[in-house]
Amino acid sequence: MMSLAEQALEAATSAGAEWCDVSVGHARDVSVDVENGSIKSVDSAANHAFMVRAFVNGAQGVSSATGFEPKDLVRGARGAVAMAKAAQPDPDFRALPEPSHEDVVAGLHDDRIAGMTASEAIEIAVRNIAEARTVESKVIISGGVNFDASQIVFASSTGIRLVKRSTVIQVAFYSIVKRGEDAGSFYDFDSARMLDDLEADRPGRAATEQALRFLGARKVPTRHMAVVLGPLASYSFLRSIAGSTNAESIQRRRSFMVGRRGTCVASPLVTLTDDGLIPQGLFSGAHDGEGAARQRVTLFEDGVFRSHLHNSYTAGKAGEPNTGHGGRTGGIGPTNLVVRLGERTAEEIIADTDEGVYINMGSVSPDPASGDISASVDFGFKIEKGKLAHPVINTMVSGDVFEFLRNLDAVSSDYRDEPGNKLPTLRIRDVQVAGSQ
Amino acid sequence: MEILDFKSLALSTIDRARALAVTFADLRIVRSEVTHAQVQDSRADRLGHSVAMGVGLRVLVDEAWGFAGTDDLRPAALEETLHRAVAMARASSDHVLDKGSVASVEAVQASEIVPVKIPAHAVPVREKMDLLLALEKAALDDCGDVIVNSVLSYGDGLGREVLVNTLGTCIDREVSRCSLSCHFVASDGKLFQRAGESYANRAGFEVVKDLDPEATTIRIARIAATQLKARRPPPGRFPVVFHPSVTGLLMHEALGHNTEADAVWAGESILAGRLGDRIASAKVTVCDDPTYPDSYGSYEYDSEGVPAQKRVLIEDGVLRSYLHSLETADKFGVKPNGAARAQSYLHRPIVRMSNTYMASGSDPVDGIFDGIDRGVYLKDGSWGYVFVDKGQFVCHATQAQMIENGKPGEPLRDVSVSGMMLETLMDIEAVADDFEMNKPGMCGKMGQSAPTNCGGPHVRVKGLVVGGV
Repeated sequence: MMSLAEQALEAATSAGAEWCDVSVGHARDVSVDVENGSIKSVDSAANHAFMVRAFVNGAQGVSSATGFEPKDLVRGARGAVAMAKAAQPDPDFRALPEPSHEDVVAGLHDDRIAGMTASEAIEIAVRNIAEARTVESKVIISGGVNFDASQIVFASSTGIRLVKRSTVIQVAFYSIVKRGEDAGSFYDFDSARMLDDLEADRPGRAATEQALRFLGARKVPTRHMAVVLGPLASYSFLRSIAGSTNAESIQRRRSFMVGRRGTCVASPLVTLTDDGLIPQGLFSGAHDGEGAARQRVTLFEDGVFRSHLHNSYTAGKAGEPNTGHGGRTGGIGPTNLVVRLGERTAEEIIADTDEGVYINMGSVSPDPASGDISASVDFGFKIEKGKLAHPVINTMVSGDVFEFLRNLDAVSSDYRDEPGNKLPTLRIRDVQVAGSQ
Repeated sequence: MEILDFKSLALSTIDRARALAVTFADLRIVRSEVTHAQVQDSRADRLGHSVAMGVGLRVLVDEAWGFAGTDDLRPAALEETLHRAVAMARASSDHVLDKGSVASVEAVQASEIVPVKIPAHAVPVREKMDLLLALEKAALDDCGDVIVNSVLSYGDGLGREVLVNTLGTCIDREVSRCSLSCHFVASDGKLFQRAGESYANRAGFEVVKDLDPEATTIRIARIAATQLKARRPPPGRFPVVFHPSVTGLLMHEALGHNTEADAVWAGESILAGRLGDRIASAKVTVCDDPTYPDSYGSYEYDSEGVPAQKRVLIEDGVLRSYLHSLETADKFGVKPNGAARAQSYLHRPIVRMSNTYMASGSDPVDGIFDGIDRGVYLKDGSWGYVFVDKGQFVCHATQAQMIENGKPGEPLRDVSVSGMMLETLMDIEAVADDFEMNKPGMCGKMGQSAPTNCGGPHVRVKGLVVGGV
């Protein structure tokens, strides 16, 4: 594949590309789908793909294909250059990444996952269904098991040559339990790059145990109270906050983070680091999608917004070092998130909350421009006098992202561990809760 | 090679499947070619082109389903893919408690070609870029410096497909799509507000060629600018009036997903066992119609080769039908109604919506706000989702207005509302005599996306929870 990539580079350069990069890869994916406790289908996909990106005067042309023959790659390379020439020059483009030292991140490829059979994945699914039924014999359980193995070569006109091998496996189940008209439900999952990191048989049972707790949901009143984000909800909130440090959104002036770097935007409890170099991490890799070396970046330190996440374009435009967070065609995204943990356990934080809403799971994300938060509590409990009193229904939380960040008054000491990511419990005081009671 | 060159290969592969004694098999060979252009902040600096081609092969063996997809179309590879699909099914057959099946239907032999006036692939890329730049410039000239970021994206696609199955169906089709989306961010130096919209249809470049800037980019940029002065909506339960775009979003999210027969059969949907029941106000009639003319969610045959047909989901408040695939139709003992769609050759068909709408009613639209002392008018529906087991849904509107003393007034910022589907359908107090269906988009389900549209009239609902402050 590397020689194919180099042929495409050669073709792009000959056609007039000033900068270009090429990726060629193949992937194998198997999914076992479960519907109402029965195997619904077993799906297998095998795919090859290439992508050529060319720059002329800073303008970008991209050509990609699946189901291709070697000659299509050269044609694609020429096509990418033709598009780059047709597009308008961008003086803010500086350069594509240069080769860097080969920083090895361990644990991104597991031969055991790559060599897994559909039957082994089916067995995992069957065990999850059985585990769920030991909790509740009439559970309606859906979800499944998916594993993927891929190999991609990457080559750029700056001399980068990379071979990336990757595996990932996910077990995910959604359980519904019914009592007459009442229904309780919950989703749980486990994901890993290495089989040893996977608690393969846990999600079905865990989702069902949680689903039972959501029976008997009640409406809540509309007033201000604390909101406690459990590990899965805090993960969603923190990923959206990390995403807001995307340099492109800030440079393009479409983000609530414009002009905030160096200022205190959150409670001093908030220290958040992006680290794409953690061995076995779900979002780990030695290099980003443009072949730049990933850097560990402190995004927020004691509540102060410290750093932007960059790709080659935004780093060049800002005259700052590239943090290695580029996507394959120029986007920017966070990798693994590491939160500085607090002193008290999640249980102690809840016990210390007189009235509030505990959110187990769901998206509590700000609008990327305004920072407004207006989110449904899809899976949550009312907290009364330090205890989870009852599940809630038809409840919303809202406010401003900076209000949420500044009112964050507790980070738990314990956490849910997903490879490379520690998911703590967070508490935000004085949040507007809207209910239908 | 052109896609039709693979037709005989597809037919011979299906013959091979028959020889393997499968109960049912279908095969789709798909080639899609897509062109993208993006203008951002007055510069057309990103162009792209992609081609995807491959085959998806599905088999029912020993009452178990197996599916295999590949981009390798050599005959030997297709044979291997067929055996892989069979192996996938056989591997699971001991664990299939809910036996797989398909309804018996007549074979269909047909061609489907979406009429195109201006083939988009024949339009020079320069013309596409110039169109985006002109639409953007009109908005920036109108709104001035308050707009701090603008992104306009153009896309056209040409999909060709050959679909064959062991029932004898053989369909080839050629579907052209064209789309343009615009997003504007306005700022007063402290606050940032955004607004956006998409224009898309099944057709050629004519979809976007004559877009009127006043009705598209200027309108959206003005919304973003207006939102800077709008206040946050109030929190709590309020009477609400939906703009047709929000009505459509609600019918798609809150109702439509619950009528997908796969979720009903699995016992997940809150509408399981409710056919024939009154589940909504008698003013409510809701349809899902892939034959709706000139609409983004339309098609002539679904991804299982079943002719598309209009489905009346709710008639005068009574639940009348579900959306079916070949399999769910067999399990429910009804005729398939053509609602199975697959995103690509790497995906198997699943039950999907098409163009989902509430039919217009008889309440004068001019009186839709009557009787509301204090409520919220939700405009420009943008996204939503539902949990089918509880019927709890969320809809997000990009802009809103306070309703006071029976009149819409003060502008409000974007907001989400939450409700319980069965309560909300019963709480519909008025269905206006207007109608609009102009919300083309991509609906996500089980990792697949499908083109859809939704709409309806203005609607008044007794109460929903508004996520304001």
